[in-house]
Amino acid sequence: MPAATERRSLYLERFTDALRRADGEPGWMRRRRERAMERFLTLGVPTRRDEEYKYTNLTALRDARLLLGPARSGGLPIDAPHIPAGQRAVVFAGEPGQVTVRGEPPRGVRVRRLSKVLRTDPPGLETHLAATAQFKDHPLCALNTALFADGVVIESEPGVIAEEPVHVSFGDGLGARHPRVLILARRNSSVRVVERHSGAGAFWRNAVTEIVAEPNARVDHFRAQLDSLDAYHTGVVQASQERDSYVSSFSLSFGAALARNDIGTRLVGSGCECSLDGLFAVRGSQHVDHHTAIDHAMPHCNSHQLYKGVLDDRARGVFNGKIFVRRDAQKTDAVQSNKNLLLSDEAEVNTKPQLEIDANDVRCTHGATIGQLDATAAFYLRSRGISAAHARNILTYAFAADALERIRDASLKEHFESVLLSRFAREEH
Amino acid sequence: MLHVRNLHAGVDGQEILRGVNLDVELGSVHAIMGPNGSGKSTLASVLAGRDGYEVTAGSVTYATQDLLEMDPEIRARNGIFLAFQYPVEIPGVTMMYFMREAVNAVYRHRGQEELSAGDFLRLARAKIGPLGISPDMLKRAVNAGFSGGEKKRSEIFQMSMLEPTLSILDETDSGLDIDALKVVSRGVNSLRSPARSFLVITHYQRLLNYIVPDHVHVLSQGRIVRSGDRSLALELEKHGYGWIEERAAERVALGA
Repeated sequence: MPAATERRSLYLERFTDALRRADGEPGWMRRRRERAMERFLTLGVPTRRDEEYKYTNLTALRDARLLLGPARSGGLPIDAPHIPAGQRAVVFAGEPGQVTVRGEPPRGVRVRRLSKVLRTDPPGLETHLAATAQFKDHPLCALNTALFADGVVIESEPGVIAEEPVHVSFGDGLGARHPRVLILARRNSSVRVVERHSGAGAFWRNAVTEIVAEPNARVDHFRAQLDSLDAYHTGVVQASQERDSYVSSFSLSFGAALARNDIGTRLVGSGCECSLDGLFAVRGSQHVDHHTAIDHAMPHCNSHQLYKGVLDDRARGVFNGKIFVRRDAQKTDAVQSNKNLLLSDEAEVNTKPQLEIDANDVRCTHGATIGQLDATAAFYLRSRGISAAHARNILTYAFAADALERIRDASLKEHFESVLLSRFAREEH
Repeated sequence: MLHVRNLHAGVDGQEILRGVNLDVELGSVHAIMGPNGSGKSTLASVLAGRDGYEVTAGSVTYATQDLLEMDPEIRARNGIFLAFQYPVEIPGVTMMYFMREAVNAVYRHRGQEELSAGDFLRLARAKIGPLGISPDMLKRAVNAGFSGGEKKRSEIFQMSMLEPTLSILDETDSGLDIDALKVVSRGVNSLRSPARSFLVITHYQRLLNYIVPDHVHVLSQGRIVRSGDRSLALELEKHGYGWIEERAAERVALGA
């Protein structure tokens, strides 16, 4: 591992590259990048001394050589098995500076390259980009902000209800990748975005997605993290919700040697609703960490959270769910649940609800369970001729599939079910 | 076909079966009656291979094979079926998926071709109708939210799908009203054939009015203390289990 000074010069070298690529961006963006770089250099890659990273060791990411992957390599990932025929808007995001938009987006939804929008239409971005996801206390978000080369802006026009989802597909990576997505749902509109990360090889993906829901808008965000088992994955999804808006987030995390996702929403208008749900399944020596944060700033908002985890072998899982209820957020209704299934004696999960409540007329509930497969149910299946291994897979699938019930989009639900099936319910006789 | 010899078994070091002897020949219906705690359900569990039961002595031979050596799924594939006293709820797994996996596991074992989705559905519909269950049950999660009667019918449905050689019915009648009891009994009777045997475990004589047994055995304190024909069940109905238990106690006192 390079010494601190060497690391610093490597980061700065990458930053110089980023600024060169960012030539032509507006001044405010350049200033945000500079502030973000400063912030990252001050905070550094988090260590386990930081309470937020108590159970997740990111030491490997301190190897700044990760940042030295070739600036460019091969072609774009073109396979997208998850996209049902007939769904057209697809964004492929591969190497830095290589983002392509294919097909027609749903009517009333604009899907554009971030690098282009920053140069041609920046005013629409200034209030949201690198402002919704705040990097002050988040070094990895800061690093993405300083270094991102390109990304995608998905924007639904006011009043538009998009019939089809927009697919964003992140493929293979080398070195470090810092993809950026901004979803803007204008007033009274509704948009669905499926973000899929599935890259081969050993690399570090550090993704940031910002979501803005204007009054009475709806955003459904699905995130499938299926990166290679040699990859590191860190991700931020941060939403900001105005009055009467609805945001749902579903995070599926099966891949990566180490994955850390920070998913949060700020309810800055009254009458909002949000669901932050997720499902992770890890085995071998995989480690997956979800930190969620819901900030109830205004009254009459509801939030729901259901995270389920399946851990096998020596895998480790972390769930930390923060709920802030500010003084003005009366009549808040917040429900949080985290359920984990341990398939091996050596698997481990750390789960922690973290509630900070400053209002007095609220309902906040939370619960966490850690359990094993039901031996009676397994015997029931076996007593009908189903093998022990298959019974275990069926019951594991059933536990996990329950989390998918929260997905209202039928074709997406089906897709995630098939991902899950191939993971658990392999035919074993 | 089934030969139980001097079977001793228990749970957590506590002996429950204390030397059971039983022979069930192909094509016959045997009823096992007995008071609570006599070991009826333990016998059913040991025969089906449930975990946690320890066999300390004796043997069970099923179609010339050592039954106790077989895993539960191998027993099932070889034609043993246990209708559970308390069927297990499995949220998230549909009845359709569950039964298709089970039926195909059994078919594979028998060297039969697996059923396609369409063929499976046709077969399931044909079997489910006579039991007075809506085919919608196939889409529901296994036993989840089923009423007591529905759960027992679901067991009989599963039995008719798997067409077992030896069916063990563990208190299938308990908690059933008379109408459900008749439906369940009809389901069982429709499967009766010279190629199938049944072990009907019950606390009450009532069931045996509908599923008429060839032989009746009384289990008491882990042993079969009396065997006879159907009239034994009627006698029990008249005198109660106390009568049997007193006689068993006498026999123990006499060192029999």
